[in-house]
Amino acid sequence: MAERYLEELTKIHDAVKQDLLGGRINLLLGWEKGHYWWQSRPLFAENEQDLERLTWDSFCAVNLSRYLLEELKDYQKIGVLVKGCDSRSFNRLLQDNMVARQRVVLYGLPCPGMLDYELLTATAEAELESIAEQNGIVVLRSAAGEKTVEREQLLLYKCRDCRYPDPVVYDQLLLAPRGEKEAPERYKSVTKLEEMPADERYTHWEKELSRCLRCYACRQACPYCSCRECFVEQDKPRWQGRAYQESENFLFHLVRAYHGAGRCIDCGECQRACPVNIPLQELNRKLIKDINELYGQFEAGLNADLEPPLLTYKPDDPAAFSEK
Amino acid sequence: MSTALNNNADGWDPLIVAFCCNWCSYAGGDLAGTSRMSYPANVKVIRVPCSGRLNPMFVLRAFQRGADGVLVAGCHPGDCHYSTGNYHSRRRLSSFKRLVEFAGFEPERFEVRWISSSEGDKFAEEMEAITGKIKALGPNRKMRDARWQNVT
Repeated sequence: MAERYLEELTKIHDAVKQDLLGGRINLLLGWEKGHYWWQSRPLFAENEQDLERLTWDSFCAVNLSRYLLEELKDYQKIGVLVKGCDSRSFNRLLQDNMVARQRVVLYGLPCPGMLDYELLTATAEAELESIAEQNGIVVLRSAAGEKTVEREQLLLYKCRDCRYPDPVVYDQLLLAPRGEKEAPERYKSVTKLEEMPADERYTHWEKELSRCLRCYACRQACPYCSCRECFVEQDKPRWQGRAYQESENFLFHLVRAYHGAGRCIDCGECQRACPVNIPLQELNRKLIKDINELYGQFEAGLNADLEPPLLTYKPDDPAAFSEK
Repeated sequence: MSTALNNNADGWDPLIVAFCCNWCSYAGGDLAGTSRMSYPANVKVIRVPCSGRLNPMFVLRAFQRGADGVLVAGCHPGDCHYSTGNYHSRRRLSSFKRLVEFAGFEPERFEVRWISSSEGDKFAEEMEAITGKIKALGPNRKMRDARWQNVT
């Protein structure tokens, strides 16, 4: 069993209950425990009864903003619990005109970073029975006994280099803010790949992408993939072939990443959703890194009023090719 | 494009796809022709209304279907017929070029050049240069569609 952050949960519960019962919102998007104790899946709460299943623990990694796209079709006013990355996703959707701000109530939850179950079991070296957390330390309990590990080392890949654990947009901040963080190692793997010779890099991606099942879970989880018709399903012209081969896998992943150029908020939901662990964040981060280098520092999703870099230009922009 | 997959006597001849903007580079190519300059026939020109029209998927599709190199040519910044098309494509294609290289393509495989309609000589030179570079690199097998490899 994973323990919930009880004190915080009570606070959240009280705040949203008041709004849901008072009619300020018709639906609350939150988390509930899934089939396993190490899963927290989205909760769609319409009434007090549903709300009792609400949870807030170290496994609430699912980005809830993305669910607004579907739910806004059926509900007039929706409340969403947003962590730092969820709030930046919300800005992303807002900027793409996919959601109406006045129909959404955002409850901000500064996030401690979510835990990676695979990493937990790997560290425990046995099947986990439960975990307990205190002051940045996680106690892993398994048949092999107890093991104490620093919480920082057990975070999901997407949380490890998180710079903005606090929501950047919200109507109500329910917990105490945690402040901005540094992410010195954010581009570490990208730089490592950049230094490889081209052929070696191709072989690397060939290996990684060969696992791709083209389930498109990365797209489904992604807050920038909000097109009503995605290029992979488009029939005329049919960009994405259905064949299972390296060439089509490359096409899909390059284009998927490129569609996020200047728009990707680096929330890492794609990589977390990937059933075969393709390091998709490296592709996204490569684009973020380059655009920052070439066209100035830009962090997507921080401010919905700032235009994404690829939608604008300056006459004296540099180029990555010879302009002579 | 299958006919363009030309295998000549000594085995391999590069196929280079050049996307040329209608107003500058394509006209530059025209000028090269009317001025009787020659450039390698390995370059197949595809005319696009503007370099900003170029969907980066065109480039990937070209690689899938047999191109050994891809060139995008447009008006010089500031000279776009649609005022800002090439400013946008400069940003887009710069980041796209870096992404393509990150995926493992050699930097020479995908190039962008600004060629104006009065630069027939530059057009011929650039085509000559890219053909030379691709010949030196050899055939491209990266991202090639497996079903196209047998088409000769």
